[in-house]
Amino acid sequence: MARVMKMTETRALTGAKVCLRPLGEHDLPTLQIWFNDPDVRHWLHQSERPEATLEDIRERILRPTEQNTIAWVIEADGRPIGVLRLMDIDPYHRRCELAISIGEKEYWGRGYGTDAIGQALGYAFGVLELGRVGLLTDADNARGIRCYEKCGFVREGVLRHHRLRYGRPLDMVFMGALGEEWERSEVRGQK
Amino acid sequence: MAFWSHAPVFFAPSLLYHIATVISECILDGDRVRLRPVADGDLPHFVQWLADWDVRRWLAEMDSPPTLKEERQWYDRRRSDPDAVMWAIDTLEGRLAGNVELRLQPMRRKAELGISIHDKTLWSQGLGTDAVRLVLHYAFEELALNRVELMTDEENARAIRCYEKCGFVREGLLRQHRLIDGKFGNTVVMSVLADEWRG
Repeated sequence: MARVMKMTETRALTGAKVCLRPLGEHDLPTLQIWFNDPDVRHWLHQSERPEATLEDIRERILRPTEQNTIAWVIEADGRPIGVLRLMDIDPYHRRCELAISIGEKEYWGRGYGTDAIGQALGYAFGVLELGRVGLLTDADNARGIRCYEKCGFVREGVLRHHRLRYGRPLDMVFMGALGEEWERSEVRGQK
Repeated sequence: MAFWSHAPVFFAPSLLYHIATVISECILDGDRVRLRPVADGDLPHFVQWLADWDVRRWLAEMDSPPTLKEERQWYDRRRSDPDAVMWAIDTLEGRLAGNVELRLQPMRRKAELGISIHDKTLWSQGLGTDAVRLVLHYAFEELALNRVELMTDEENARAIRCYEKCGFVREGLLRQHRLIDGKFGNTVVMSVLADEWRG
């Protein structure tokens, strides 16, 4: 059976461009600024909710880390640029869901997310010994999907009208990365 | 059917919560089954059937057979959850066959459907199909949902055929999604949208 590590045991990870360090209470105001930025929020489930309060973010992002979620702040050039989570970690079925958001927009499209995801997948498969990491993304998020494919995720299907964006139904793509694929992937080889 | 007339297409999520809580007590009559609220007395039957691997094998979150205590905890959790609507499935003769539920996401006007005919001597008689159709009618006409989705084991051909008959469309495959008997199995995701269901 896979190991589940408590948040307090979660390691910091270092990639070529980014560092991942465990998320803490003091990061919440930064997350609030990101999640309420219209350009960032457009791609988040947040876009169907009212403006995020600190309490919302504490409940949705920090609180789950007491149970089955690991959350890291992504840092580059010595400052936080985004957040990455492994959620719903299920040690029996050896799976989890990944979510990432780069909140500092000048870091979009430059490989920072790809580097962060590579680190997190290494942790999920190598340390937690999971067999599958899944994710959901908006079907029109071409930049995100390209990044996920680069990281080894395979497109598995489309959930039609799965969420609302500004009140309109939106399709979402679901993707999965498997441990056995990761073992022989190029992304891993580049590390 | 329910005493509620057709619900408006848009309404406040808080109202939907209220309706779901109230209306989950309703009885839905079909051609082959009657759906009614789950009663405490149903639980020992569920536990007895769920001890059988043939039944449990197809169910998510059923890695080991539940005890009566665990089954009661599950029942209490569902009863106190405003987003869960659950029915027992009876044959028209009043024989308990299984259960069916909707787990609502009111903000997104969608729900996930879960169903099991626990009594395997009643499999392949159209009970599940009738129950799913009743619940879809309820979901789209009474709750005004836009999407009902479900997940099922890729190897559960009988269930997938039933869902397709009810209008569900296959949307994709979650690979290596469940560990079953020591081996990874894939999970199929299906859904039906309100427009398709009405069309």
